[in-house]
Amino acid sequence: MTTAESKLTRADLMKAFWRYVFLFQCGWNYERMQSVGYAFSILPILKKTRPDPEEFKEAFVTNLNFFNTNPVVGAPLIIGAHIALEEAGASLETTEGLKVGLMGPLAGVGDTLVWALYNSIIFSIGAVMALNGNAFGPIFVFLFVLIPYLAVRYWQFMWAYNQGTNLVASLGSGAIARLTELATIVGLIVVGGFAPSIVRLTTPLKWERVVTLRGEQVTQTIGVQKQLDDILPYMLAVLVTALAYWLLKKGWNPVRVIVVLVIIGFLGGALGIFG
Amino acid sequence: MNIVYALILAIWVYLCVYDMLGPTLFMGNRPLISGFVTGLIVGDVQMGLLIGGTLELMALGVYTYGGATIPDYTVGAILGTYFGKTNGFEVGISLAIPAALLLTQVDILNRFLNFIFVHRADTYAEEGNDKAFDRMMVYSSHIIWGLSRAIPVFMAIAFGEGAVKAVSAFFTAFPWFNKGIQVTGGLLPALGFAMLLKIMPVAKFPAFLLLGFVMYAYLKIPLVGIAIAGIAIALVYQQLKYRTAEG
Repeated sequence: MTTAESKLTRADLMKAFWRYVFLFQCGWNYERMQSVGYAFSILPILKKTRPDPEEFKEAFVTNLNFFNTNPVVGAPLIIGAHIALEEAGASLETTEGLKVGLMGPLAGVGDTLVWALYNSIIFSIGAVMALNGNAFGPIFVFLFVLIPYLAVRYWQFMWAYNQGTNLVASLGSGAIARLTELATIVGLIVVGGFAPSIVRLTTPLKWERVVTLRGEQVTQTIGVQKQLDDILPYMLAVLVTALAYWLLKKGWNPVRVIVVLVIIGFLGGALGIFG
Repeated sequence: MNIVYALILAIWVYLCVYDMLGPTLFMGNRPLISGFVTGLIVGDVQMGLLIGGTLELMALGVYTYGGATIPDYTVGAILGTYFGKTNGFEVGISLAIPAALLLTQVDILNRFLNFIFVHRADTYAEEGNDKAFDRMMVYSSHIIWGLSRAIPVFMAIAFGEGAVKAVSAFFTAFPWFNKGIQVTGGLLPALGFAMLLKIMPVAKFPAFLLLGFVMYAYLKIPLVGIAIAGIAIALVYQQLKYRTAEG
């Protein structure tokens, strides 16, 4: 893979970038999430770096594996770094390792930065202006989406591509492994806080008990949720996430896990056990 | 005239869905944007701002983390603005919320049905047929998602508020049904996080996951604070770990 024709031009990079921008999450599904969008973005690069039809097919099939990360901060970084490795002639094991290693951590970091922080700020400003009857509210939001979103995606993509090339050239794969480890640690810490802030499951159940207080019979109402919170805050949310994790680890397909969660949620809500 | 609006707004919601899936140029899936443009289309900008702004504040920070289903405030804002124009804000908002909740079932269905594309992609990849794959991506990969919103918007407007009211009357008559959907919406993100954890080395670094949980659940640190602390902890960890290597 060191032949001159495998070298990529700026036009090849831009082709991958625009494919990512225009169709990245189209075809998203529970089974493999962003996999088709990822393959669509990287395909023109693979076509160039793997002129042999059999090698191309193998890379095409491999790049349809499960993939999911934040589409704005995360995906362009991974695609850029992947292109750099691919150009340097890395094996499919290396590029898949990069994808799997970075997608989880960057999903946690990207979702926090883009959705929870940046969007909440600009949209709350925009919404308050709109409620005051000011049509500049949505226009303000539109401008603060259009330009920064494109810029941050382009910048990450190019940065990761250039860094990837440099890192591969000067340090080998050690630096990538170290960067992946750093991102993994940050990602795990963020997910640890993020999951209980998003997954909502509480119970309205109460029970009554009669106690004798200074010789008088008093009925006390005790909320089950309050007692659970005293043991472990967000206990039910943690339990349901652990259940989903355990089922996936057992090899269940995500769609079956969804069916289980829908049954628990719907019956629990309808019967008044949860909610 | 209803049919014309139904068609235009169906196209608008399709564009909003496509923008969310792909380019994210205007965040059309947020109610502030979808409601405002609906206001421009139906000629009542103030209603678009009011409905869009109200729903936006309800939905702040509510995103599809890990591919979770959330109430469809996009469709809610479009229908709320359209019906609000003739019937007033109260009617508009009271139609918008049940419409948004009703569409959560549609969302689960469309995210499920999209497996068709990944299976067709597998076949194309085995054949090495990238041209056919490209065609599928460009022309059809957004159709199920787009139509799953465009058809309900079209029908709701074409058949008038009677249809929406009949649907929302069902919810009022059966509050347990509504409650069931609400609880389901709250716990479905568990799947997204579980999938995330499955691909992360939880068994290798369990301490970091616990640290994040403790910072949120007990110390009540906001998420951005947790992210900054996370970076600091990761840097310290790596400095200690690689110290000998660096001399």
